Amino acid sequence: MPPKRKATDDSATPSRVTRTRQHDDDDDDDELNLRLSPTKLPSTPGPRHGPSRVVMDYIEITTPKTLAHTLRSNTACASPTINGLKLRLPKEPSTPSRQLRLGPASPGKAVQSPSTPSRVRPPLTPRASPSKLQFHPNDVPVTPSKRATRPLSPRKGGGDIIALPTAIKLPGVLPAHLVPCLRLQKRAILGALQSSQSSEVIDDEDHLSTNSTAYTQLHNLLHGTTTRGEGNSCLLLGPRGSGKTSLIEQTIKDLPGEPIVLRLSGHTQHNDRLALREVARQLSQQTGKSFLRDMEEDVNNTEEDPNPFIDPGPTISIPPPSHLPALISVLPTLSRPTVVILDAFDLFAHHARQSLLYCLLDTVQSCKVGQGNNGLAVVGITTRIDTINLLEKRVKSRFSGRMIRTAPPSDLLSWINISRRLLNTPVDGSSEWGTLWTFAVYTFLEDRKVVDTIRDTFALTRDIRMLKQLLTAIVTNLRTTSPFPTASHISAAVSTQRLRQKFSNLQALSYPSICLLVAAMHAHSAGHDVITFEMLYDAFREEFRASSAAPIQIEGGSIGMARCSREVLMRSFEELVGAHMLTSVVAPSPNVAPEFVRYRCLVERGAVKQAVTAMGQTNVKKWLNKAS
Amino acid sequence: MDEEEAFIQKISDAHPGYTSFITHFTTLASTHPPPFIYVTDTNNPRITTSVIDAIFHGVSSIPGAPPTQYAHVNAVACITPRVFYDTVLNVLAGWTPSWKNGCQVWPGDDSQRYNDSIDSFLHGLRRLHLERTTDSSKGKGKGKAVASKSEQDPSMVILIERAERLSESLPELIVPLSRLAELSRINVSVILLSSVSWEDIRPAMGAAPDPYHVDVEPLAKQDVLHRLVSAFRRTSLSESPSDTSHVTYHPALQPLYEQYMETLYNAISIYTNDPIELQYVAAARWPGFVKPVISQYEELVRQAEEEESDPPELEPPATDGRLRLFKFFLPTFTAALDALYPRLDNAADWAAKNEYDAGQRFVTSNCDGLANRVKLASIIKVDHLPRMSKFILITAYMASTNPPKSDLRMFGRGPEERKKRRRKSASPKKTGGAQTIVKVSQRLLGPATFPLDRLLAILGALLEENDYETRPHDPRFELPGEYTDMEVGRIHIYAAITELTLMRALHRTSAMDKLDGPPMFKCGISHDVALALARDLDVPLNDWLWDPA
Repeated sequence: MPPKRKATDDSATPSRVTRTRQHDDDDDDDELNLRLSPTKLPSTPGPRHGPSRVVMDYIEITTPKTLAHTLRSNTACASPTINGLKLRLPKEPSTPSRQLRLGPASPGKAVQSPSTPSRVRPPLTPRASPSKLQFHPNDVPVTPSKRATRPLSPRKGGGDIIALPTAIKLPGVLPAHLVPCLRLQKRAILGALQSSQSSEVIDDEDHLSTNSTAYTQLHNLLHGTTTRGEGNSCLLLGPRGSGKTSLIEQTIKDLPGEPIVLRLSGHTQHNDRLALREVARQLSQQTGKSFLRDMEEDVNNTEEDPNPFIDPGPTISIPPPSHLPALISVLPTLSRPTVVILDAFDLFAHHARQSLLYCLLDTVQSCKVGQGNNGLAVVGITTRIDTINLLEKRVKSRFSGRMIRTAPPSDLLSWINISRRLLNTPVDGSSEWGTLWTFAVYTFLEDRKVVDTIRDTFALTRDIRMLKQLLTAIVTNLRTTSPFPTASHISAAVSTQRLRQKFSNLQALSYPSICLLVAAMHAHSAGHDVITFEMLYDAFREEFRASSAAPIQIEGGSIGMARCSREVLMRSFEELVGAHMLTSVVAPSPNVAPEFVRYRCLVERGAVKQAVTAMGQTNVKKWLNKAS
Repeated sequence: MDEEEAFIQKISDAHPGYTSFITHFTTLASTHPPPFIYVTDTNNPRITTSVIDAIFHGVSSIPGAPPTQYAHVNAVACITPRVFYDTVLNVLAGWTPSWKNGCQVWPGDDSQRYNDSIDSFLHGLRRLHLERTTDSSKGKGKGKAVASKSEQDPSMVILIERAERLSESLPELIVPLSRLAELSRINVSVILLSSVSWEDIRPAMGAAPDPYHVDVEPLAKQDVLHRLVSAFRRTSLSESPSDTSHVTYHPALQPLYEQYMETLYNAISIYTNDPIELQYVAAARWPGFVKPVISQYEELVRQAEEEESDPPELEPPATDGRLRLFKFFLPTFTAALDALYPRLDNAADWAAKNEYDAGQRFVTSNCDGLANRVKLASIIKVDHLPRMSKFILITAYMASTNPPKSDLRMFGRGPEERKKRRRKSASPKKTGGAQTIVKVSQRLLGPATFPLDRLLAILGALLEENDYETRPHDPRFELPGEYTDMEVGRIHIYAAITELTLMRALHRTSAMDKLDGPPMFKCGISHDVALALARDLDVPLNDWLWDPA
């Protein structure tokens, strides 16, 4: 049984899942409980549904008390954060299941939840479909034939109550009246996939520990800056896709007042002067004042460029480096506190003399509480663990050394939970659709192949964005003819998104190109890795001569290889070079004729063999298999 | 059938074979396109571009789809970042530079410049987005806009065609483009369309996030034919039917064209499957192909005029007529491909040269015209050269293809028998001991460089063998070879070498201002040209080559 397997797999993690047959409160303190309530056998007559069918009413997952405790202790030390968290939660559309959990099954849990921010459902949740808020498993309108079983909650997820009907038959082709529902569902899921970065920060249980701690720390830090005027600096460190950017955006959104936020990125500001210009620009946008007034004269001077294409470099009005200290030292004197976010922090460390970092961190260090200044915080975001070693000594000594870490979800279960939650994004639609869809998602995620595929992906990358890409591909490819996700959908998604072949369309290559590749294979097995067009052409000519030597004709046509002129082959050769199947070994030079430029073939023999087989020309196949 | 399906159907009809791609893309476009999409199409990216264009131009008509602004840029045209910024912003803002306003680019509403760096570009995007959101909320009424804010958030889409060129022309832009939504903090999608895979242009260090991949399947035969025939239909509709001079694309000929296209496809599709190339070849061949039919028709019209009856309708020929047409023209299909696919000729000229002029002469002359033409061309090219320059070129070809160590054996004359024998006995040990890779002939690897001295030495040997008899007798030269030596030392030899270098028939590989050592050269002529020259001079070239072809 899949739930049991999961439970044993993850028994070491704090978010342990147990499955119990009892309905009463026997949860351990440190466990996440998944309950399967007993089947009401009289209501679902067994023989009709077949003995092998899994009959389940609903599964309940509840938060362990310990986790709640740790959370409470985390948040207790920072009283303002609770406020922030509470304010923040309602904005998340993709955590619907939280609101469902207050069912009759665990009345005890409802009491503890107010202190755990992630579990509470605030009263003032703006929702698109308010009617669903009070959704209770017992209230679901169901078709009479299914009333016997316990009805199904249309929304479940990493959440609390998963109620499943026993006998739903998914239609192979969608009935016409459900087509709009499928479209709505797709739209909702794709929307959630694109916008749910922020929701996951606190949503997922295991993920919770790292990223919510990071949130608390960062919030405390920035809160100190905004309310007490501290100068703070820290580094937000975590692998790609672990939610660094969304964490900082979330934190800033929750800060009281409106701090001035300067967003810089090492990907766009390649040097300090560009960064400085950007700082000045963002400052004047947010405060309405101009900060580089004297530099506008330079702009006017350089405006008179006679040829706009001749050199775009000098026309950029870059402030001189001497302005840097002056501008940065203005920051604490502004009317509001300032937060400077340096994305790709490690790239800033590569700037000349690290003067921007030096100025920023020096200003931060000298910004002390009680001097009447407003606060200044510098937050660096990076994926590089050794970033701090990149800093010069004088810069490093001014940096606080505070490092806040984020982490992606660390176990498979949370990946599956995230998929379940995303796929179960609620829509306004008929309950019939909701029932079908929830059941389809349930069966999809219980499918062994699907879980295996997700496990494979998880073993390769912990980047949650890959999972989202897979889900996007799955959802986008749902059609009315195959309206529900299946294992074949996910394998197709994996082959386009993750397991990409280097040269996927080799089969579609034309005959001359294939011939050239075969010739290149022969050159390779003869020990010549480096090839010229002339070599390939010579090999082709030899082969062509050999194959047309015997003047055998079948039904009026020669069975030899098709003729190919040198120019046609040359054109095909250029196409291969354009498709990066051949890569130039030496730099191009005007002294080398195109047919003598040296290339190396990047296509593997196996791929060529497949392509030749697919093309189905016996001569070429024979040529490829010939010993050279 | 609802509007989305009708939309998909409409575009699929215009682009047969793309249905699954169109459905996929329309779903993405009408909901929430991922911020970074990479479309790989190795076969016909130009057609895919037009498909994506059609989708995004019409996607706003689908109910529920976000209002989309769409910009399509070709990376080939974006030679500098600034051109890219200006193009994108102009299109997104719907701004057309005109002569009246001094061909100004989109100015925004303040005097800021948005094209000087990626930062400014991002500011420009944000400003555009701001304008668009305020516009839409004004237009639709506040309450509604707020209620469906996530649905109606306007999105921008930037399609970059031939994205592989970005890594050459704008390598610093790839990372910001792949993170454009994150950097600009607005709803913007970047679509890169390329014929190479993302791995080939991905920046180092994982600076760019992985895109959402979309692959385009190659077209099937029926789809290609469908597309080509519909192109014929469009042409015939756009041409005025009353004009008799343009009867070539008369709608009545469409059944014939279908059959013609299928035969053409069968004949040349192994060489190229690209509909655009096929159409090019087909367009060049069609006027000649259809000419017999049209002349027959014109004859009928003339007869009708003489008899003063109504002119007959244009009809495609009957089955046996068609069969004869195809039998007659079939060899020319591959000939057309040979000339047009590598663009040795353009379609109009080729069509003019290969017009149908009733007779077998046409077929026979055209069968191996290409091979003849290459030989002709090479002979024409070398004909104007002086005799000595021809010798120099042949010598240069030998020097570039023969290994230097073989020179003595090839050109040495005199009592050298002992040396030869010793070398022979020494060499088998070497080659037998190390079973190395077979060396590729220098002819295939391209010309090697040689010093001027070697060129002169070989030239001397060559002239002694092939030129001595043509010279008038001079009693001053007694010793064998002395006369030739004098000839080789003449100043006009050096002048000829310099002249040939300027003509690029020889490549000088050492710098002009280099003083030490002899100047180095490389042969610039091909094997065919060298053969033609040798034939011209009666030199047995293959006897002089170490590794003759």
